[in-house]
This record gives sequence, C-alpha cells and structure tokens, in this order.
Amino acid sequence: MTVALVRVPLLAIEQFAGLAGLHPDMARRLVSLGLLEASQDASGELWFSTSQVSVAARIQRLRAGLALNYAGVGVVIDLLDRIAELEAALHARPDYGGRP
Amino acid sequence: MAARTERRDFYEILGVGRDASPDEIQRAYRRLARKFHPDVNKDPEAQERFKDVSEAYDVLSDPDDRKRYDMFGHDFRHVPDGVDAATWARGRAAAGRRDRGSRSRGFNQDGRVDFDTDGFDPEEIFRDLFGSARRPGWGSVAGADQETELTISFDEAFHGGTRSVTIAGPNRTRTLEVAIPPGVIEGQRIRLAGQGGTGSGSGPDGDLYLVVRIAPHSRFRLEGRDVHVELPVSPWEAALGTSVSIATPGGAVQMRVPPGSSCGRRLRLRHRGMPNPRGDAGDLLAEVKIKVPRTLSDDERRLFEELAKSSTFDARRRR
Repeated sequence: MTVALVRVPLLAIEQFAGLAGLHPDMARRLVSLGLLEASQDASGELWFSTSQVSVAARIQRLRAGLALNYAGVGVVIDLLDRIAELEAALHARPDYGGRP
Repeated sequence: MAARTERRDFYEILGVGRDASPDEIQRAYRRLARKFHPDVNKDPEAQERFKDVSEAYDVLSDPDDRKRYDMFGHDFRHVPDGVDAATWARGRAAAGRRDRGSRSRGFNQDGRVDFDTDGFDPEEIFRDLFGSARRPGWGSVAGADQETELTISFDEAFHGGTRSVTIAGPNRTRTLEVAIPPGVIEGQRIRLAGQGGTGSGSGPDGDLYLVVRIAPHSRFRLEGRDVHVELPVSPWEAALGTSVSIATPGGAVQMRVPPGSSCGRRLRLRHRGMPNPRGDAGDLLAEVKIKVPRTLSDDERRLFEELAKSSTFDARRRR
C-alpha cells in the first residue's frame, strides 16, 4: 500500500479504488447507489474523502459476509448507525445503571 | 491460543447434528452469520466466531466436501480423491512413524491441492491459493472497527493511569497497555488504532474502541463531569451555618455551609469535579444532609425540648 507523503484532502477515483480494494467502476457504482459519498468536479470526475475508504470496507464486508445485495447493505448500514446512536443516547442517561 | 490446538467440530460450531439437512445447515449458518458479523457485533471475539462459522459452512454446504469431512475430519483436504477412510487412517498411522522429511504435493483435476503426507499444515497454503477465489469481492478489505467496554474505577477516571487490557479472540488474544487520560467520562471512547478486526489481503486492520464505563464509587456520584457528594451536617450546623472539611476527589477542601441550609441544598464548588483535558473541569456539588443523633444525652434532650417550646418554625408549612 502506498502512503501519500503530503496531506491530500480528497482522493481521485483510482487512488480511492486502490485503497479500498475496489475496481474504479465498482466505486462509481457504489456512489450512484448512494452507498459512498463523493463530490463531482466540473469535468465530472469523482473525488472521495479518506473517510470513505472505511465506509467502502464496511460495505464489502457486509455484502460478502451476509450475502446481501447493495440495496440491502444500504438498509443494514442505516439501521446499524441508528442503533449505535440510540445506544449512545441510552448510555448517556444518568439513570442508566445496567450493562447492555 | 489454547483453543486452536484442538479444532472444533464444524457441526458443533454451527450447532447442528451430524444428520442435519442442507436446509438446517444453511439456516444455522445464516442465523450465526447475522449474529457474529463483525459489522453487526462489535465484540472482538465476534470476528473469530464469524470466521469459524463461515469456514464450517463453506465445508458443510458443499455435499462433496461434507462427505469427505464426515469421513476424514479436519484433514479431509489432505486426502487424495478415491481413498477410503480406513486406508487413510492406516496410512496416517504409518506416516507418523515414517521420516517426515520427504513430502510431495500436487494439484488434481478439480483444482484442489492434494497432499500425501502430513508433515506441515497445508491448509494455510490452500487458503492463500483459493481463499480469495472462493469469496469474490472480498479482496483487500480493511478490518472492521471493534468495540469493547472498559470498566475503570472513579479514581482512575479522575487521575488517569495505565491499564492492561486483555482482548479475547482465539487467534489474537493479546494484552495491551492502555493509557487512560485524566478526566475520561462515562461512555467516552478510547481509540486504539490498528487493534480491531483483521483486514483481509493487504487491507489494514480496523481500530479497537474501548468504551469507558466508570464503576460506581462509594461516596462520589458522577453526572457528566460534575461530581455529586453528600454533605452530612448536624441540625445546629445547618441552622447556624458552619465551615466543614469535605473530601473531594482531588483532596480535602474547606466548604462553607451558609446558615439556614435545609436538607437537599446543593453547594457548588467550581472546577472541583472531573478534570477536562479540553476545557474547564466539572463542578463539585455537595448536597446538605442533616443528621440527628440516634440517642440524645440528657443535656441535648433538654436543649431540644427548650427549642421545640420556643420555636415557631413549622417544617410542614408551605412557604
């Protein structure tokens, strides 16, 4: 794996795909499915923030590990995030004494 | 590491009987995969369980592999095609006595690697060669982030310190020295980079998050960074006011109790609560609690009776 020596705020699609272990076409498809976030520049090129690398890994793990299609992965990710939020809120309550 | 020397039976891993139908096996696998998927279950042990479950299902869902597994057990991939169980058992016993220096291996027609001696563990090579081919799309994928709870004492949270944390997982049981910064609060996440789920291929490992739980303290109660403590005073101290020495997490301090402090009054000491690495420390809130002697001396009884006679105070009248 190559590591950039300078801080790059955004990754070009080839760079992103390399880091995420995806084919660039697959990265494009995940963006059009709304599973990955990317910004588009004037020439239509996609740019990814580095945080999307771990999002892509999560998508691939869920898809392969649970035999989900990409629509299903989207639902699972939304629900997992909501559960995480709710659990955090629950733990933050002063009267929450028990363990999960 | 002890768990690895004796490999668990695939049927046992899936929790099904040896006569389970393919349907039952699939059902058991799907249920366990949902439960232990590293993105669903953040427990560090879940990834190992998920791997075991997937491996068991890989074998038991393939009728041919399953038949061979039933005959030869975990060694079934080392057994050449067309060998029956009795011959294999005899051969193995003989190989154990023979010199293990010579070993050969080859590929048979269906692409499997066959080994005819058991001097080393060829399954690792098998996985390297065919692992990715059998799981399309699971190439170099980063490992999942994991989460586990770390219960620390109130004093550790207040003063900080180091803690040895043992993270379970049959393949990766390891002990980490974790620095706890002073002023951590309940629910705070301490990130240990690269200590989470193993990445596949060249994918990086995920992070491990320790979610801080602070064990209840006998005297101090936490609410965020504010520390609550009871302040017991005598009736005359509460009525006349006083200055008392009170224990705080940072040491004893003098606290002034103003005259006329009823039970439940909260006295605030600014910034005497939990420290905050990024800002102001929390406050210490002392709650007045009036205590009376269980038994009175003759003098005390006389004075209280005198007070009762001359006072016009009615504790039950609404103000």
